[in-house]
Amino acid sequence: MVRVFAALFVGAILAWGTSVAVVNLASPTPNPPNKPLYNYGTR
Amino acid sequence: MTRTWLVRLAPAALGLVLGVLALGPALGPGFALRYDMVFVPGPEFSARMFGLDGTLPRAVPSDAVVTLLSQVVPAEPVQKGLLLAIFALAAAGAAALVPGGLAARLAAAAFYAWTSYLAQRLLLGQWALLLGYAGLPWAVRAASRDGFRRLVVALVPAAVGGFAAMLVTGLAVACVSAFGGLRRFLLALLALLVMALPWLVPALLSPAGTDPRGVRAFAPRADTPFGALGSLLSLGGIWNAEAGVPGQSAWPLAAARLLLSLAAIWAFTRLTRRSRPVRLARALPVRLARALPVRLARARPQAVHDGPDRADAVREGPRRGPGRDAGPAGDGTWAGAGAAAWAPGLALAAAAGLGIALLGAYAPGAVEWLVGAWAGFGPLRDGQVYVAPLALLEAVGFGALAARFAAPPRTPRTPRTPRTPRTPRTPRTPEAPDGRKAREAAIARGFAFAALPVIVLPTFALGAFGTLGAARYPGEWSRVREIVDGDPAPGALVSLPWTAYRGFPWNGGRVVLDPAVKFFRRQVVWNDALRVTDAASGRVIEVGGEDPLARRVAAALHGPGPLVPALREAGIRYLLITRQEGANSNTFPSRLSGGRPIHVGRELALYRVEGPLDLPRMSSLISLVTPVWFITVSITIWSMAGSSSSLVPLRSLRRARP
Repeated sequence: MVRVFAALFVGAILAWGTSVAVVNLASPTPNPPNKPLYNYGTR
Repeated sequence: MTRTWLVRLAPAALGLVLGVLALGPALGPGFALRYDMVFVPGPEFSARMFGLDGTLPRAVPSDAVVTLLSQVVPAEPVQKGLLLAIFALAAAGAAALVPGGLAARLAAAAFYAWTSYLAQRLLLGQWALLLGYAGLPWAVRAASRDGFRRLVVALVPAAVGGFAAMLVTGLAVACVSAFGGLRRFLLALLALLVMALPWLVPALLSPAGTDPRGVRAFAPRADTPFGALGSLLSLGGIWNAEAGVPGQSAWPLAAARLLLSLAAIWAFTRLTRRSRPVRLARALPVRLARALPVRLARARPQAVHDGPDRADAVREGPRRGPGRDAGPAGDGTWAGAGAAAWAPGLALAAAAGLGIALLGAYAPGAVEWLVGAWAGFGPLRDGQVYVAPLALLEAVGFGALAARFAAPPRTPRTPRTPRTPRTPRTPRTPEAPDGRKAREAAIARGFAFAALPVIVLPTFALGAFGTLGAARYPGEWSRVREIVDGDPAPGALVSLPWTAYRGFPWNGGRVVLDPAVKFFRRQVVWNDALRVTDAASGRVIEVGGEDPLARRVAAALHGPGPLVPALREAGIRYLLITRQEGANSNTFPSRLSGGRPIHVGRELALYRVEGPLDLPRMSSLISLVTPVWFITVSITIWSMAGSSSSLVPLRSLRRARP
């Protein structure tokens, strides 16, 4: 029974994390400026 | 036999599935173009592909191999095949190091083929480095066994990848072989040298230098809430925030990844319980200073442990011997210690790689001093690449963890330790006869384990949710290539605007290295100086370029007055201007009096510099590079023809029980 509860707990955490990540991804965010020439990256 | 084949190929198949899932839209029609990943249609051999253009040979021999393959198959499927091969090879390799059941092998395969490391490097377009990452398990396995040819074959993926791939693989191979005696160590170094020759010779003779400012620009950074150390342990921490997987820094998933990594490392250390070699590794680096010379002093290859049976097991590797047959015991340790002959070396390589990365993150001044003292230390500036051996270690540990939790109960079950005074575990014994049900449950748990790496990094799927994609070049590029490559007159081409990276609308705005660099047979001069924005301070770090000719052209471009005389002196025949919205495309034509417009289209404008050019002296490197390639290719073919081992362990398949 302890294992079941542990599995449920871990599953809930992961499901929450996954949905947070996906929702963050899907939510509208400001687009980066339309720069045709780019730096190599941002630290 | 069919079932054996299925079991053997399952990790590679899983890797392939994960590859399809990760690449997603990038597998569509066109090329996946992002940052350093530039593939072009119908590539042709050029001096740059062999390191003859005076720049550091960063794409040697990967671009030459792509060009060779593209002579047979169109470049689009070549790119997709290479990208998928990375996933399949990585997964199969990690699984081959785990001598457990299918569940353990699949778990290790999934872990290794779905890491932040792979995702971030893929999003930075460093597919050639990832070839080394994919071949790393095979190289580690081969380095722990005798056989020069076997190691050469295992090094092929990294050798194709070139510079960075070989450095990462070399670290692991050197560490692993160092535990196998002096002879094996020296042979491993020889194999590494042979396979590195195509880029090593041009690199050593190149006039290009390394700017120490790159250390701070490319040092690992925290991309999770757990600092640089936590990020690196989670196999992330790449310097470029643009290469991050969307949503990766959200703390619930970052915490889950870190926990998974720590659990995998813990499980790897648990393997040491009954394995002396791994116990040795656990003592590293404390014992390293003492243990390594002892190992090197032994001329005859020998296992780290004593006894003829164990030594045989090591020579035969994980495919034979008690370790292979028995697999990890139920408590997560190797039943046969011989299977883990590579483990101490892998642990050492992982520790060293993590150390290099941490040095860049926490003591960049030390790396700067090293790079300033000798440009040969330049590869240390992007320290996160050396975390690859740690990724492999964690994958093996994760496989052991899966074996521990997904192992079907055995009948009769032996007590875990003889010191246990209690009576045998009676609660499980009555279930044992119903073995099928237990096995099915174990397999289900195994698959659940294999899904965990995907669950904790879900947004790597579908090309990191659209971060990767596929695009086709506008037809204008091919028309311009016909003009430039069809002209027999010598002289280089300068690509403008004078920045290295572009964001084409036809590529969905994804940032990509200027494709002109690889589009033409003629030498292309481009601005290889790199600009990295520091988000914290807002300032831009400028990392100086490596090409002396590019510096000369830059001086002309930034100076006042007409360009043509200066370009003539630099041996420039063509100017290619990518006409982009936002870029001032009129700046250069106004200074090009004496330059003749050859093509002016919607995307590109091409100007020819008329008149005699001061052509640079032909590189004398070609007289060295030709025999070097001959040596490497000949030894590779000889090894493939004669080696009893290959990346697909056919001999093991034949030997396997039906």
